[in-house]
Amino acid sequence: MTRSLPITAPEADDPPAAPAESRARRRSRRVTARPVAGMLFVLPFFLVVVAFLVVPLGYAFWLSLSSKSLALGTRFSGVDNYVRAFTDPVLLDGLLRVVLFGLVQIPVMLGIALAGALALDAVTTRFALAFRLIAFMPYAVPAVVGALMWGFLYSRTFGPFADLPTLVGGEPIDFFSVSLLLVSLGNIVTWAWTGYNMIILYSALQGVPRELHEAAVVDGATPVQVALRVKVPAIKQAISLAAIFTVIGTMQFFTEPQIMARFAPQISAGYTPNLYAYNQAFAYSDFHYSAALSFALGFLVFVVAYAFVIVNNRRRVARS
Amino acid sequence: MLGTTWLAKLRGGLAACGLLAVAACGGAGGDDGPVTVSVWAWYPEFKGVVEAFNASHPDIKVEWTNAGTGADHYAKLKTAITAGKGAPDVAMIEFQQIPTFVILDALADMGEHGANEDKDLYAEWAWQQATDGEKVYAIPVDGGPMALMYRKDLFDQHGIPVPTTWAEYAEAAVKIKAADPAAHIASFGSDGGWLNGLMWQSGCRPYGYSHTTAKDQVKINLTAPECERVVDLVGDLVDKGLMAKDPFFTADATAALDSGKYWTWAAAGWTPGYLAGSLKNTAGKWAVAPMPQWTAGADEQGDWGGSTFTVTKQARNPKAATTVARELFGRSKAAWEIGLDKAFLYPLVKDVAADPAFTGKAYDFFNGQKVNEIFVPVSEKLGDFQFTPFQDFVYGELNDRSAEALSGSRPWGTVLEETQKNVVAYAEQQGFKVSK
Amino acid sequence: MKVKTRLPHLLMGAGILYFVVPLLWVVIAATKSQPDLLDSPALWFAEFNLFDNIGQLFREDDGVYGQWLVNTALYSGLSAVGATALAAAAGYGLARFRFPGRRLFETALLGMIMVPATALVLPTYLILSEVELVDTMWAVVLPSLLSPFGAYLIRVYVDESVPVELIDAARIDRAGELRIFWQIVVPMMRPAIVTVFLFTLVATWNNYFLPLVMLSDADLYPLTVGLTTWFNTAQQEAGTRMLFNLVVTGALLAIVPLIVAFVLLQRFWRSGAAAGALK
Repeated sequence: MTRSLPITAPEADDPPAAPAESRARRRSRRVTARPVAGMLFVLPFFLVVVAFLVVPLGYAFWLSLSSKSLALGTRFSGVDNYVRAFTDPVLLDGLLRVVLFGLVQIPVMLGIALAGALALDAVTTRFALAFRLIAFMPYAVPAVVGALMWGFLYSRTFGPFADLPTLVGGEPIDFFSVSLLLVSLGNIVTWAWTGYNMIILYSALQGVPRELHEAAVVDGATPVQVALRVKVPAIKQAISLAAIFTVIGTMQFFTEPQIMARFAPQISAGYTPNLYAYNQAFAYSDFHYSAALSFALGFLVFVVAYAFVIVNNRRRVARS
Repeated sequence: MLGTTWLAKLRGGLAACGLLAVAACGGAGGDDGPVTVSVWAWYPEFKGVVEAFNASHPDIKVEWTNAGTGADHYAKLKTAITAGKGAPDVAMIEFQQIPTFVILDALADMGEHGANEDKDLYAEWAWQQATDGEKVYAIPVDGGPMALMYRKDLFDQHGIPVPTTWAEYAEAAVKIKAADPAAHIASFGSDGGWLNGLMWQSGCRPYGYSHTTAKDQVKINLTAPECERVVDLVGDLVDKGLMAKDPFFTADATAALDSGKYWTWAAAGWTPGYLAGSLKNTAGKWAVAPMPQWTAGADEQGDWGGSTFTVTKQARNPKAATTVARELFGRSKAAWEIGLDKAFLYPLVKDVAADPAFTGKAYDFFNGQKVNEIFVPVSEKLGDFQFTPFQDFVYGELNDRSAEALSGSRPWGTVLEETQKNVVAYAEQQGFKVSK
Repeated sequence: MKVKTRLPHLLMGAGILYFVVPLLWVVIAATKSQPDLLDSPALWFAEFNLFDNIGQLFREDDGVYGQWLVNTALYSGLSAVGATALAAAAGYGLARFRFPGRRLFETALLGMIMVPATALVLPTYLILSEVELVDTMWAVVLPSLLSPFGAYLIRVYVDESVPVELIDAARIDRAGELRIFWQIVVPMMRPAIVTVFLFTLVATWNNYFLPLVMLSDADLYPLTVGLTTWFNTAQQEAGTRMLFNLVVTGALLAIVPLIVAFVLLQRFWRSGAAAGALK
């Protein structure tokens, strides 16, 4: 999974019930009308955004509007590439695969991360400190190295796991077989990102006012009940943000399958949408269609993420 | 090439600067010193070959870059070609990739610089694949004539005859399973080049393409009986559990070869070197036999792998680049010494392959057998075989459909049919007229 | 108390096992010679060969691994410093000034975070090749300066923890805007800066796709690209160059610096991350 930055997106900086009007007033009080100085502070960043985001995106979009076929050369084709993309069975299969993958992997990972965060929040022993450090370590392992490492670990020759069933007379496990491949990939992602999400959720838990759960304890709630009924609802916002960013990362799933294909050739050229876009460009030399695929994917990511945000906000409003 | 208006303008501006710079410099690589030629290649032990070339060519200096192995190398090359700059002067390209780069308009015609003189130097099949009429797109270097490697000790011990036909091969597979339930006759390696080699050896000629005569026409016929029988055979062996499923070149496959799990490997001329370094336990226990035939007594052969040098259209000095492509190996004794003894290439230069120093070489790994006595006639026997200008896509399809068959979600009998269908659709989408 | 902590400890014990075993495997495997790597039990030591492996690692291909290590540190260091500086200035500018287009830019910031990195690499390559920057370190460093999330995090942090009154007071004292930023604002947002720095550092250190596409000269590779090159070589040319032990040892040495950095700096980045998560 490629993710350039942490998912510590802050939650809304005002209580959900705050009327828009008062928020606007407070904001305007906080900023200073010194337009030139303000613009100068933002300018260097803005230039980088233009040079390495706006221009490349514009160029990619321009590319996506024309087609190049090997035999016929390049011609303007409008939305043809997009029509092709959304009727391309390879892309649709890849999308379906990634969605299935996400539906299982994301809840599992966030579930473990949440359990770990609650455990950390409940005890403050040295053991907990060690756990916190160790759980976070995989985040510092480059995705490439992580995928190679798991490739070794899964293999019968290098790894300790594949032959475990033979101890009790079973068949060795083939982690690279088509039926297990998604699980194997899911495990790599889970291993790499659980600790990271756990730290985020733990940080959020630490901000939950102690009085809340102390009151619950007085009412006779068990620690597990406190965790599930008081703490978890209190950090719902952090959980859903972690979920959004994980969804974004999952939709862009690329590095792990790309590396793992060296161990498992059955990872096809269109195994994930992003891998498909990569292969269209770098293996089949169709940069135009590749650009269209990337755009279509980016658009889907955008829609999914925003839908998630909107649904989430609705719920919040409904609750308050 | 991607010519946007503003980008084209920018490019034009830069090109003008470039011209000025050249003019100011008085012509890069003129009389003042050796011409520099950049080369991308991933041959093992290639450094010595480059040094030998530079030592014998005072007027040319080769600058070698290893830009990656296989797919990584091609990805970079294609990106640089699309960008219109950044490609090397000379690039290593495998045979099956030549038409792909030709249709991308990436390769210069070395025939314009006298490369046609080399026609008789190389194995005929290789020269045919590297050229298109009088146009010379590539200079052959190494090849992969196929033969059957087998565990002589185990075959002898269990009294299994070495198969001379594919029918006998299938019988041997059953006997091997009976002798050792944990063993397989071989592995289905999920390797497009390997499957292609087997089909070639079966007399299947699935592709036809000539950029010179009809650049928008391509022949695709993967469902011919000669092609189908190959997939039927290996598919049947896999389904019966007689053939394993490990992809080639993974540590698992290598370990299986080295521990008696596979008793044969339909391999190529470069395998002796490939294996000698990695199979320590079973060194000396292997032998090489000619490929099993589809008809008893026939002599059909195939090739798996091999590579060439090409000159890109971005080459600053195509003439010097052509010299590099032709002479890095070519007639160079020093280069072939390294190529044969350290990099274990199978030479496509006829004289080098026919040299007693090569044919008479006894390999400890094969218990003293002179295996090149088998490989060399195979290479001489190989005939015309063509590839499509989108071979990556074809191999990708073959691989993906076989993967489905390996996992049981597709009958082996439909692998080629489905591949044919998808490849034809792709070719038509790319603007080709497809014939069978 | 005992009963209360049993469940958390059980959970954490299982977690430690899960997270640490693969890393342990890397450590153990790095001590093995090439033949032992293939033959000996995966999770136990064979003949201790770590120092030989490290020696061989730094000798292979004329010591190119050392070059990769230096490159990686250089690229990620430069990118992280640059990206953090840009994000800090922009985040502050957005949080504490009003100018035309500010709102729009802020909204766009969120959209930028969602752009798939792979969609940008190809057009960026084509553009950089026009200005002759491909296959130079700048092709990796310059695109890595882009950190919309960093700017966003800083903006939120400044909004919450740098009182506007303080800035106004400084202005009344006729301090220049740059001086206010440097002497008052930057020290106050140190946790956020450390966080952004560390995370951009990791992002570049771990980046694979961008350098893979941009660089063709092996002397310019970062570790991620270099190690996969070796891995491919080991697979495809097993006979001549069986490099698996070097890939494993190289991977270990590539991970260690980042883990050390995170452990040492965790006090800082955790408060930064917490700030982000809480606000």
